[in-house]
Amino acid sequence: MADDTGDDQADGAAAPGDEARDALAAELSELLGDAVVESHVEAGQNLWLRIDIEHWHAAMSALHDAGFAYFGFLSAVDWTDAPEGRYEDTEFDAAGVGEEDDEASSATAEETVRRGGGETRFQLLAQLHSPARHVAVLIKADVPEAASSDGSSAPASVPSIIDVFAGADWHEREAHEMFGLVFDGHPNLAHIYLPTEFEGHPLRKDFPLLARAVKPWPGVVDIEEIPPELEAQLEAEVMAEFEASGAGT
Amino acid sequence: MALVDKVKLPKPLSWLLNFGRARSLWVYQWGLACCAIEMGAAFGSPRYDVMRLGVIPFPASPRQADLVVISGTVTDKMAPVIRRLYEQMPEPKYVISMGSCANCGGPYWDSYSVTKGVDQVIPVDVYVPGCPPRPEALLEGIVLLQERIQREDMQERWRGEPIVVPPSTSSSTRVPAAPNASSTAPTSAGAPAVPAGSAQP
Amino acid sequence: MSPPPTASALREQQAYVAAQAADARVNVELDTGDMTLNIGPQHPATHGTLRIACQLDGEQVISAEPLMGYMHRGYEKLCEVRTYPQCTTLINRIDWLGSFANEVPFILAAEQLMGVEAPPRAQWIRTILFELSRIANVSLFLGDMGVQVGALTPVFFAFRDRERVLNQIEEVTGGRFHPNFDRIGGLKDDIPRGWIAETHAVMAKMRGFCDEMEDLLMGNEIFQTRCRSVGVIPGDVALSYGLSGANLRASGVDWDLRRDANPGLAWDQVDWRVWTHPDGDSFARYWVRLQETREATKIVDQLLDGIPSGPIMAKVPRIIKVPAGEAYVSTENPLGEMGYYVVSKGGLGPFRVKIRTPSFSNISVVPWVMRGTYVPDIITILGSLYFILGDIDR
Repeated sequence: MADDTGDDQADGAAAPGDEARDALAAELSELLGDAVVESHVEAGQNLWLRIDIEHWHAAMSALHDAGFAYFGFLSAVDWTDAPEGRYEDTEFDAAGVGEEDDEASSATAEETVRRGGGETRFQLLAQLHSPARHVAVLIKADVPEAASSDGSSAPASVPSIIDVFAGADWHEREAHEMFGLVFDGHPNLAHIYLPTEFEGHPLRKDFPLLARAVKPWPGVVDIEEIPPELEAQLEAEVMAEFEASGAGT
Repeated sequence: MALVDKVKLPKPLSWLLNFGRARSLWVYQWGLACCAIEMGAAFGSPRYDVMRLGVIPFPASPRQADLVVISGTVTDKMAPVIRRLYEQMPEPKYVISMGSCANCGGPYWDSYSVTKGVDQVIPVDVYVPGCPPRPEALLEGIVLLQERIQREDMQERWRGEPIVVPPSTSSSTRVPAAPNASSTAPTSAGAPAVPAGSAQP
Repeated sequence: MSPPPTASALREQQAYVAAQAADARVNVELDTGDMTLNIGPQHPATHGTLRIACQLDGEQVISAEPLMGYMHRGYEKLCEVRTYPQCTTLINRIDWLGSFANEVPFILAAEQLMGVEAPPRAQWIRTILFELSRIANVSLFLGDMGVQVGALTPVFFAFRDRERVLNQIEEVTGGRFHPNFDRIGGLKDDIPRGWIAETHAVMAKMRGFCDEMEDLLMGNEIFQTRCRSVGVIPGDVALSYGLSGANLRASGVDWDLRRDANPGLAWDQVDWRVWTHPDGDSFARYWVRLQETREATKIVDQLLDGIPSGPIMAKVPRIIKVPAGEAYVSTENPLGEMGYYVVSKGGLGPFRVKIRTPSFSNISVVPWVMRGTYVPDIITILGSLYFILGDIDR
């Protein structure tokens, strides 16, 4: 490009030191005591804290008092496997993938997939930020399942934290609607997005997308392998067209 | 207009009335999603200037509108409201569905909360494809609608019978404003389909 | 020592007392209880399908509850059944005014999981396009805020000048609105020849637009009266509701993710500053956004002059498979902090995507801030909080 000045600064932003996050993890573990089940630091990226659900409210208010005053978000993860979804190798997906990609993904799957752990189906997920220290912390808590009155198992109720973070109000309503989690002490656990008569919890993995059952995913053709001889031919055609147009430099 | 539905109007008179109706469309802007901004650009920005086509984007209520542009994703929660406001519009009324979402669901074809096309709720006269369509494409859609109004039989329209309009044969039948708009429209996005006589759901 | 009251002054005083008594009587007679005012879901002043149910006592708002979901399209679920490149197509459409900025945090999160880093040239062009999206997004607010308080002219100026920025975005990406230009590992294409000089010219024009808005709106007495000390949000309330972006900075909190938690883009290579305002009212929010737009044009100008040479795409496999893991990346988008929590199980598509959108948190403060305001201020406050419906409802 003629416009380039060629000012190359390859190293860019230095990643925030891991020592800072490690120290913070140690500090928070000390602050929260036995509420912390586990902590995980990913170098230069994020800090995860896994908290015992019994201490959810106390831990959140302790973090608030410790300077983590900015409420990022609150949500949940459903860890069951879904019938649909592209998150793991189906027979079709595996066919299109080269040898070199396979080893990177599948080998270490089990030990890395749950940063900050998780044994139950539902896991609470929240993020708090400290505006003074410019660092965020991701907080997780396993939600145990309790047998409900009609015999089926449902996630146990979780204490609401809207008295600590006022902004958690809508986030908890959303988690209630999407996952069916129940927050004790929330004044208005009504539908937030969906019509009142809507049934089911869309972000649970067993919630089916009916349109997909009727019609197969049209994007499948995108990943279809082009035969090598056809690819060479297509490329030659494109190049010929490009040169004929006189656009080449 | 008791005369209109009893007597077959003479052609010149019908032409004149249709000419007047086609060039004074009061359009209610129903902006729902991304397309609303492109609609705003078409209606509000000096570059596209919709008023040269005789379209007036001012009514604050559907009760004063001849045309409604549904632009954006229609959700199941929104659909009853659209139906209700459509019913408030006085006859004769026209609907332009703008963008893939309003046409058929678009990229949200498999979503649990999106209606797969606004034509499930109200009858649509012109579909403008694109995600989102450029403002030029919307202008083209309006021109096509004006062509259609121009060729309407007033008697049938007033009786509320389903309208069957012969498809456009060539660009020579375009209204005078058309060449201006169609020359600026890109060929890829400037070909909205006009279904003749869209049916009630 | 004050002189004794004259006869006329006494008469005035008596008339005043009588009028007060009559007013009180009328007030008792007209005591009609609370009234429910429903704004939306389709209303010209709510720019989008947001519905607000207000309880009014006369002209005063007792409570205002936003009812949303009229634009809920289920992004988080749809992302679970799509591959990573297909996800970016959808994600473009969350905040439809600054589409390119939506893609960046998601792509960065996927890159973090894959251990890929885009080459510096790609990072610089990403940053330029990011700031152009910011200008395209916020410039519409700068005009639209005038409409909210009754001034129609500025929005035409905004649409006129916004087209110039959209042209520049279109020239690079091919899309005015939804570029879908970002790729895992870099960008789809390089910038075209001559684009840098053109963009410099457009940036100069946009600075002119900011000056125009300053003259036209901010110096206007009516605008000031309508906006000053309307909808005051103190800093601690803003933090606990999770307000971000200019709404937070207008409450005096000096926090900008571009400076404080830069995920690897080129913001730290240029000279710019974060603007804050201590007041926390509607006027402060407008003021901060205006300064930020001006600052963004300066960032773009500096970045344009220093784009490093090199490739625009790192080496990534042709079929994207993201290793198992979790990552959260957030950036300072035009509306505030936008973040993606991506959970991967090592396949072609994400296992779970949590999308943290700024408008959702920004608008959650509405019930708090609306209490006790007057009806005309509802629209001023909503306008100054500046939300995009797709960004609230996802």
